[in-house]
Parts: sequence; structure tokens; C-alpha cells
Amino acid sequence: MRAILIALTTFAYVVVLLPILIVVVTAFSSSEFFAFPPKGFSLRWFDAFFASEPLRGAFIRSLQIATISSILATGLGTMASIAIARRKGTLFNLIQGMFLAPLIFPAIVLGLSLLIFYKSIGGVPDFLGLVIAHSVLGLPFVVRSVTSSLLAVDPALEEAGQSLKASPIDVFIFIITPLIWPGMLAGGIFAFILSLGELNTALFLTGPGVTTLPIEIFSYLQFQGGQLVIAAASAIQVFMIIAIVLIAERLIGLKRIVRSD
Amino acid sequence: MGSGFSMNRQTAFWALLGPPLLFVGIFFIVPLLNLFWVSLHGASSNELFGSDLTGENYYRILTDSFYHTIIVRTLWAGMSIMLLCLVIGYATAYVIAPLPPRTRLIMLLLLVAPLMVSNVIRAYGWIAILGRQGVVNSMLRSTGLIDGPLLLLNSFEAVAFGLMTILLPYMVVSIVNALNAIDRQYIEAAQSLKANPVRTFIYVIWPLSSPGVASGILLVFLLTLSAYVTITLLGGPRMKLLVSLVFDSVSGFRWPLAAALSFALLALALMVAGLILALLRPGRVQGRG
Repeated sequence: MRAILIALTTFAYVVVLLPILIVVVTAFSSSEFFAFPPKGFSLRWFDAFFASEPLRGAFIRSLQIATISSILATGLGTMASIAIARRKGTLFNLIQGMFLAPLIFPAIVLGLSLLIFYKSIGGVPDFLGLVIAHSVLGLPFVVRSVTSSLLAVDPALEEAGQSLKASPIDVFIFIITPLIWPGMLAGGIFAFILSLGELNTALFLTGPGVTTLPIEIFSYLQFQGGQLVIAAASAIQVFMIIAIVLIAERLIGLKRIVRSD
Repeated sequence: MGSGFSMNRQTAFWALLGPPLLFVGIFFIVPLLNLFWVSLHGASSNELFGSDLTGENYYRILTDSFYHTIIVRTLWAGMSIMLLCLVIGYATAYVIAPLPPRTRLIMLLLLVAPLMVSNVIRAYGWIAILGRQGVVNSMLRSTGLIDGPLLLLNSFEAVAFGLMTILLPYMVVSIVNALNAIDRQYIEAAQSLKANPVRTFIYVIWPLSSPGVASGILLVFLLTLSAYVTITLLGGPRMKLLVSLVFDSVSGFRWPLAAALSFALLALALMVAGLILALLRPGRVQGRG
């Protein structure tokens, strides 16, 4: 019995990690075409990636969209959490459910509904449209992690501030914020990572000349095959995520990274 | 009542809740209602949708056997992936859960970090492994076991296997959390009553871990429904699921049909979610204190 469990566990780790590992390793290949193990080591495909205007453009745009949308999601999500974290009742459960819904809501439906909505109101620039979509998707991560931080704050601290005649704004800036910033940071980092790899709304909302890196990789794979420059593009994304995880581990700890999946 | 210049609690509350509520209202709820409105119309050649109200899109989805085939295949794919994830994920969680906290965190991180990598990259990894020129085929060819390449992609099985590997971490994390929340005393009590490991599992561990199982398989099924990119890359042009039809209708500018198919997808999601919650009843464990 124990042997079967260990075998299944090993299988799980292999099938989850192997595809990513293969892509990263082939990105350093020196050959013209895919071969595994790679024939030699080179950085030529990374050069090719940065030399390609569409790929580099998509990469920079992805970073911009992830930055703006995660900041927006962190701001709005924190405000929402502070307003409703300790409130009880059907109405507040409903409101909180609405903020958390995009977490499990089929993202493809959100993408299509936003596309048709943008068209209905006379068009929205592609970049702005993507920022909005990714903010909606990032919001629940922030609401979840900030709410759990807020529930851990002793309400007596807030009351102490109020009894000393601090205004709600002062209470927020000097008492609440220092206590919940790890929650805000964790939520913001997840919103950023989500935006960086997001496909389901970006499929509908990217336009000619305004694509994100994952969509660019997808169209390469679909129409031009798995060229090695795409392996380099993927490897860059993987390295960025490793870097973010390492930084996040320092700032907010492993436990938060693993729990707010 | 307003107290002059100082901001009272009520104003502060609405100043905080107002902007996020408006944002989600305008960019989540309103577009969804608008989508439903669009789905109730016929197609139009120059507008987003025709002028007359009609249920023909839904009628077509409910009666056309083409849509039935796709819906059944979608359900079948979702169930296969859920079941695979459940068996492999439960075994993995069962091995990871009792590890010392630091080791457990690192083992979980190894599964959670891949979730942060875009699905298109993880699907690409499987193309690199299973494709015509992929790792498996070139290894088999170099050993002389096969002459021509095996076709391992572009099939239902490729999609189910690929999506299973992409979604498996959600399952493991959900079940590990549930297993760790179980009070050890329950298990010790069962053992002291001479229950063998199988009985302990069936009557104690499995019921107490059911909230984790429920949230895991729910997440896996819901994410399967949306996984257009993985389905397209691993399934090829002919292996279509419901989400592919949504996308095809959009490519053909048939907006009302795409909208109606989206709601068919949502209905499927709700029905399966309801079924999972009814069967596993995760709520009954919540009062465990």
C-alpha cells in the first residue's frame, strides 16, 4: 500500500514539473530545431527573443498590464476588505461573494462578456480593456488575503485609536495598514503573477499589435510550431516566477505563498 | 447624521466600499447581464445582434445533436480529469500531509509554483515531450523500437492527461489542507477501538477530508471548462469541447450564439457544482471545532 502511494506521489511530481523543466532546458539549446537532450549550450534563442519586435513588445506589454492591474486590484481589494471584513449578514455575504466570484467563475465567459460589453459601449482601447479584465480577476486574491489579515487584527487596536480621537483615515494609515501589509503584498503578488500568465480573457481582448506574451506564445504554437525562440520566451517567464517566489518568500514567508494558491 | 467636517463611520464605510463595488458592478455584473441579453437575440450581419427577442439560440443548443455530442464529451472530459486528479492527488496529499511543517511547505511549493507558470507554457512542455519530434518519440526511435513516430497528441486522452497534470496541484493543496485540519485524536480513537487502517480511512479520514475533496474537484472541473488553450494545443483542431464552440462562434462573429453557449457552459458549471456539493456534503464537517 505504502509503495503504491509513493509511486503515485512520484508520478504527480514528475508530470507537474517535467514539462516546465524540458521547456527551460531546450531554451538553452544551440541547435536549430528541437532535440532532447539539447545538442549544445547557447543563449542564441534568448538573443532571438529580444531581437524579435513582436515578442519583446508582448513581453513588455505583459509586464505593464500585470503591474497596473495588480496595483489596481490591490487598492480596490484592500478598500473592499476593510469595509466588509467584520460585517455579518446576508447582504455582506453576497457582496463578499461577488468580489470572490471571479476566482471560480469560468474566465472564458468573463472574457467574452467584457469583449461584447466593450463593443456595446463603443469600444475600449485594447490595453485598457486587458488591464480592467486582469484587475477583476486579481481582485479576489487580494480580498481573500487582506480579509484574513484583517480578521487577525485585534479590534481593540482600532478602538484605541478611535478613543484617542484619531480620524478613520488616521486609524487606517497608522494602525491598520502596518498590520495588514503582508496580506496586501501577498494578494498583489498573486494578482501580478495571474496577469502575467493569463489566457482566457486575453484570448478575446488582445487585438492586432496589442498582444500579451502568453497569447503570442499560443499563436506561435498554433500556427508556426514550437520554434525554440518560444522556449526562450517561456523560460524567461519561468525565471521571473522563480525570482518572484524567492522575493515573496523573504517578504511574506513560504506559508502565505503556498496557502493563497 | 452628518457631523460637519469630520468624516463619520458611515461615510468612511461607503467611501471604502463604493469604488470596488462600482468596479465589479460595471466590469463583471453588467457585462454578464449584457451577455445574457445578447444571447436572447438572433444574429445580425452588421450589428452585434439582431433586433428581435428570441430563444432560438438556446433551443438550438438543447435540440441539436451536434451540441449534445460536445456537451457529453465535455462532461466526460471533466469527469475523467476529476477522477484522475482525485486518485493521484489524494495519494500525494496523503504522503505530504504528515511530513514535518518545513518539508511539507517545500513539497507544496514544488507543486504550487508550477501553477504560477502560464498554462500555455505547460501545454508546450507536453508538446515537446509527446509531439512527433518530441522526447518520447525520439527516444523510442533511437532505441529502434519504432520506425515512424507515434501519434500521442491530438486526442481526447492527450487533453485529459495534459489537463490532469496542469490542474493536479489544486487538488493536492485542497486535500493537504483538509487532512491537516483533522484532529489526530479522532484517528487515534479509531485505532484504539481496533479499527484497521482501511476502516479508519473509510469511516474517519475520508469523511473528515471531504471538504478538501469537494473544493479540489470543484476547482478542477470549473477550470477544465475554461481551458481553451490547453484543449486546442493538445487536442488539435478536431477535439472540441464546449469552450471551443464558444470561441469558434466568436471567430465567426456569431455573437448571440457565442453568448448562449457561454450560458450553457455556466449552467453546466452550476449543475456539476451542485451535484458535487450534494454528494460530498462538505458542510457537515464544518462544525468539528
